[in-house]
Amino acid sequence: MRSGLERTLRDLESLADDPSHPLEPVGVESRYDPPRSSIHPDRALSWLRRLWPVVAGHRGIFAVALLASLASLLCGVAVPRVMMAAIDDALTTRTAPLEGFVIAIALLGLIRGGAGFVSRFWLFRVAYAIENDLRVTLYDHLSRMSFSFYDRVQSGQLISRANSDIRTVQMFLTFGPLICLTILSFLAAIGLMLSISVPLTIVAILPLPFVGVLGARLGRLTFPISWIVQSRMADIATTVEENLSGVRVVKAFSAERAQIHAISKAARRLQWINVRQAEVQAAHAPVIESMPRVGMALVLLVGGWLTIEGRLTIGAIVAFTTYVVMLQAPFRMFGFFLMMVQRAAASALRIYEVLDEEPEVRDRGDAHDLTDPRGAVHFQNVTFGYGDAAPVLSGFDLDVPAGETVAVVGRTGCGKSTVARLLARFYDVDGGAVRIDGEDVRDLTLASVRAHVGIVPDEPFLFTTSIRNNIAYAQPDASDEDVIAAARAAGASDFIDRLPEAYDTVVGERGYDLSGGQRQRISIARSLLANPRVLILDDATSAVDVHVEQSIHDALEALLEGRTTIVIAHRLSTIALADRVVLLDSGRVAADGTHGELMRSEPRYAEVLAHLEDDTGARDAPAPEVAP
Amino acid sequence: MSFGGGAFAGGPVFGGLGGQGGQNLPFAGVPTELQERVDEILATEPDVADEAVDFSQAEYDRRPFTLGRFLAPHWVALLGALGLVVLETITLQAGPLLTKIAIDSGIRARSTQVLFAVAASYVVLIGLSMLISRARIVVTARVGADLMVRLRVRIFAHLQRLSLGFFTEEKSGVLFSRQTSDPVSLAALFQEGLVQLAVQALTLMIVTGLLVALNAWLATIVLLAVVPAMLLMTLWFRSASGPRYLDVRDRIADVLSHLQESLAGVRIVTAFNRRRHNVIEHRNVVGAYREANDATAQVNAVYGPGSEMIGILGQALLFLIGGRMVLRGELTVGDLAAFALYLTAFFAPIQQLVQLYTVYQQGTAAVVKLRELLAEGPTVGERTAAHPLPSIEGEIALENVTFSYQPGTPVLRDVDLRVRPGETFALVGATGSGTSTIAKLVARFYDPDSGVVRIDGQDLREVTFESLRTQLGIVPQEPFLFAGSLRDNVAFARPAATDDEVLAACDAVGIRELVDRLPYGIHTPVHERGVTLSAGERQLLALARAFVAEPRVLVLDEATSNLDLRTEALIEHALDVVLEGRTALIIAHRLATARRADRIATVHDGQIVEIGTHEDLVAQGGRYAEMFATWARHY
Ligand SMILES: Nc1ncnc2c1ncn2[C@@H]1O[C@H](COP(=O)(O)OP(=O)(O)OP(=O)(O)O)[C@@H](O)[C@H]1O
Ligand SMILES: Nc1ncnc2c1ncn2[C@@H]1O[C@H](COP(=O)(O)OP(=O)(O)OP(=O)(O)O)[C@@H](O)[C@H]1O
Ligand SMILES: [Mg+2]
Repeated sequence: MRSGLERTLRDLESLADDPSHPLEPVGVESRYDPPRSSIHPDRALSWLRRLWPVVAGHRGIFAVALLASLASLLCGVAVPRVMMAAIDDALTTRTAPLEGFVIAIALLGLIRGGAGFVSRFWLFRVAYAIENDLRVTLYDHLSRMSFSFYDRVQSGQLISRANSDIRTVQMFLTFGPLICLTILSFLAAIGLMLSISVPLTIVAILPLPFVGVLGARLGRLTFPISWIVQSRMADIATTVEENLSGVRVVKAFSAERAQIHAISKAARRLQWINVRQAEVQAAHAPVIESMPRVGMALVLLVGGWLTIEGRLTIGAIVAFTTYVVMLQAPFRMFGFFLMMVQRAAASALRIYEVLDEEPEVRDRGDAHDLTDPRGAVHFQNVTFGYGDAAPVLSGFDLDVPAGETVAVVGRTGCGKSTVARLLARFYDVDGGAVRIDGEDVRDLTLASVRAHVGIVPDEPFLFTTSIRNNIAYAQPDASDEDVIAAARAAGASDFIDRLPEAYDTVVGERGYDLSGGQRQRISIARSLLANPRVLILDDATSAVDVHVEQSIHDALEALLEGRTTIVIAHRLSTIALADRVVLLDSGRVAADGTHGELMRSEPRYAEVLAHLEDDTGARDAPAPEVAP
Repeated sequence: MSFGGGAFAGGPVFGGLGGQGGQNLPFAGVPTELQERVDEILATEPDVADEAVDFSQAEYDRRPFTLGRFLAPHWVALLGALGLVVLETITLQAGPLLTKIAIDSGIRARSTQVLFAVAASYVVLIGLSMLISRARIVVTARVGADLMVRLRVRIFAHLQRLSLGFFTEEKSGVLFSRQTSDPVSLAALFQEGLVQLAVQALTLMIVTGLLVALNAWLATIVLLAVVPAMLLMTLWFRSASGPRYLDVRDRIADVLSHLQESLAGVRIVTAFNRRRHNVIEHRNVVGAYREANDATAQVNAVYGPGSEMIGILGQALLFLIGGRMVLRGELTVGDLAAFALYLTAFFAPIQQLVQLYTVYQQGTAAVVKLRELLAEGPTVGERTAAHPLPSIEGEIALENVTFSYQPGTPVLRDVDLRVRPGETFALVGATGSGTSTIAKLVARFYDPDSGVVRIDGQDLREVTFESLRTQLGIVPQEPFLFAGSLRDNVAFARPAATDDEVLAACDAVGIRELVDRLPYGIHTPVHERGVTLSAGERQLLALARAFVAEPRVLVLDEATSNLDLRTEALIEHALDVVLEGRTALIIAHRLATARRADRIATVHDGQIVEIGTHEDLVAQGGRYAEMFATWARHY
């Protein structure tokens, strides 16, 4: 809990800190203020209590809004009382002039309208402000989470929490206070009723306890149901999301029917629980809402009798019936309110579940920036496995002096990309250490490590924005010259120039309207523009043809001069870029040397590059048996 | 524990939440204290029957999507609901009338009998209204839930028909909200909106009738003063809020697509230190959304309290005029009291209608957007007269094919190509030259602008998608894996495949070792897009998937580009077995892969410049020979 608190305090600090950090450049103008606070870190608190700091960030206008609401509601409550006086004093006993009452009613109306405007206006705005804060806070939090988090959690889940759950909470915050005040005004009404006639008031509010009991029951029953509803909506969202992103596979294998089957099943599961919810609602809500009208009948009976007895006036009956009608609204709302509270609670918990996750890889308190590194990389007896799975690397030792280019080769899935991810500290090692210039990366700030370690990932992901923005991803304010230079070095400038809008061409979803090789080259350009000291090329030219690859290599030779580079490769042409080759096998470096040395001394190395040696017909002719 | 979840089965309720069902995962669902009650509820759930899916590529409802057509199939239930609504409203509105009777005939006539009778009938009416409203809630919820299922399935099915080009251009965030938030808005419109609209409109009419019946003159004067004011304000509200709500919808779409893309590219965001930038960017889109919301708050704040104010001022007017009438003896106090009560009842529905307006706006906006989406036809569609392609021999022919993604920039020009049945045919060419495009045409993801693509002599445009694609095994350049088990992914094309068949496919591509290493074997969950596997493993699984499909024609687009050479060699051996007698179209930049093909075609700048065996092409000394020379020098 303490660390949670620390985290939130830190979050709050950085939520507030805007200005661009030299290592984390910002290329957009910030048009809105950051939220003033995040949720309360103490998980033991109730959901509302945890939300309080966010609400408190707006407490000034919130208070104004609530006061105005109160004024408006009280005016509303006063009207029947004045009407009663008008009927009794001006019309029945005729002891007072009618006009005075009429003016009083009109005035109350005007105040109610004016105060009502103020109250609604600010209440809505506060609720929207809080929604805004929650959205930004959640996004901010998600942006801090480590790879390991995204390895576990589905993005559909996150989106539904960041959207429908936040909206549910927002709904509650908009209407909740209003309903609370309505219920409060109901107390004021009861006060006025008591001042008119105690016995009649008792009769009128007799059905209330039932409402309380039933309401509580309804709430208890709906809570788990609304939880299920939310999660089934999330299931649907997930199915839809997967279908959209996998559309190429769905089409290629003609799986439309199976997919529709899946969504139909998910939709019917949601249908069932929705109907269940309505049934529970139907069993309670009408009773809850009708109770005040039972009060009305009782008022007529008892009040009528009291009037006949001469102990009450007709005006009082009118006032009471009006009050009971007025009470109906809060009662109606009460049921709705209970449901809303339950839903909001369920949603809030789902949001907190995300906010309570802590990034596994994060800056230590005393972390310092890596400044002007030479770029010497040292993996020292590193052991690492994803989650609880068996280690991918164990006893992995690799020393890359500053400025050297090393090729890492190994079989599919042996852990080459993992080495890259550890160096950029996307994950923390389980044992041993990863060092840059002798410093353990865990002692350095994440931003500085990532600013100096650049990766061209094995999957070139592009964003739906212009090619220029994609290339300038690390430095949004990079000049056009820099962008073009990076594109040229990556062998991408030719095809970009041929596009109708050149660098301003907006690429489609994930860049799928470019060819594979084109995407890869933009991805390379993106990393080159970041100009890292240590560069990792993770199978970065797997989808380009030999000519383009050669021209990229020619450009890279110059660019890599003086940089520490790790190339992960399956092709000899790429390996040729390197001064030295290491063979990764069984989680450790199995061989280390120049290509020629390894070819001679290490059978496993030759095997990984098998094509080269036996491609003159190994397919047809089995390897000749060595005669004894 | 079952891992069957994810995209395929819809997933177990909470196991499906994480898509993975492991209990040590977070987001596995319910807080413990809730679990029991949730389980209790779920225990009562009947098994969802496996409904046969009725889906056709070519035939579907092409009429514009309207609310009327959407509701029409349920008209009986809807009429029933409406009837219940009418009854409910009538029982509710009897209150003030009974009050008037109680005051005039009971209290003023000093008759306790009347009082009793009034109270008794009141209670009976309340009981009735409770029963009716209970029935109404259940009926509308049933119909509503039913409509939602049909709507969701319909939108989803329609999207399955749309062509690949559509998905490449449209942001998936937009399509996502079309399928998630729009149906919800529509459900709200139906369940709260329409029913309440009926209730309130009816209340308004009944109350007006009662007011006039009580005293026509007074009713006319008061209503004449009040109604035009309300009307004017409502008109203002309508015109002011319409565009504001539209703006809200657009802004929230921005927020969602920013969020969605950030999550999709979260690894790149992290790697390139873009956190701060993106947070600010997100703050900007969320801020714009908030401003749009604030703008609606303005009109709402004027309208709601404003109409309340008019209501109270109406009461003041009533007392001024009605009070004078009482003083002059033209009206009883009971009548005035009833009048006052009815007037309150007159404004209540108007208030409600205002609240409904938001729901109405969002609902109708959803209808419009859905109509647009559903009116979107596939650019590459199945003809109504399309016939199934008989079992393929495997001859692929492109005749004089010209194709462009964007009009005016042809990617392929006059391509002529004939792949013989059973042949292994390689396409090579500079990156961006159009090789993948040829593969996409063969799978009929796109149609040529001119020319014909044929398999076994049949124009692909004349055959059904299903018959074509179930016989093709396509391994696209970007291996995509679904969240679900390894098994579900490998058996994607043939969910009925046995575990042994799946394992055999894994064996064939040489990924058996990985499968055996995994904690649950082939039942191990795969995370979305397979991000927890290595790039090569993803390719291997995509290959295994194509193997299980048992295609007649295999199309491999850079399917082995991320594999180490040894693994690739293994795959090629496996392919030789699988491909026995089948046609294969292989696209590769690794010439070692290409040179094993029976024949090779070189694509250059959208045209086929040479075709022949490896030896022929090398001997010819053309483009291929040059590429091969470069390759041989460096590899
Ligand atoms: N995020 C992850 N979570 C769990 N396991 C993972 C994750 N990423 C990779 N793995 C597993 O770790 C092993 C090493 O993966 P890695 O990506 O480092 O392989 P690689 O050597 O780069 O392979 P390739 O040549 O195919 O890219 C693989 O077996 C893979 O399944
Ligand atoms: N959906 C699309 N919309 C617009 N243009 C596209 C689309 N897909 C591809 N292109 C363009 O068409 C050209 C050919 O693309 P294609 O994918 O066929 O290339 P390729 O030969 O397979 O290249 P690579 O070997 O790099 O994958 C490229 O210039 C590419 O930018
Ligand atoms: Mg890799």
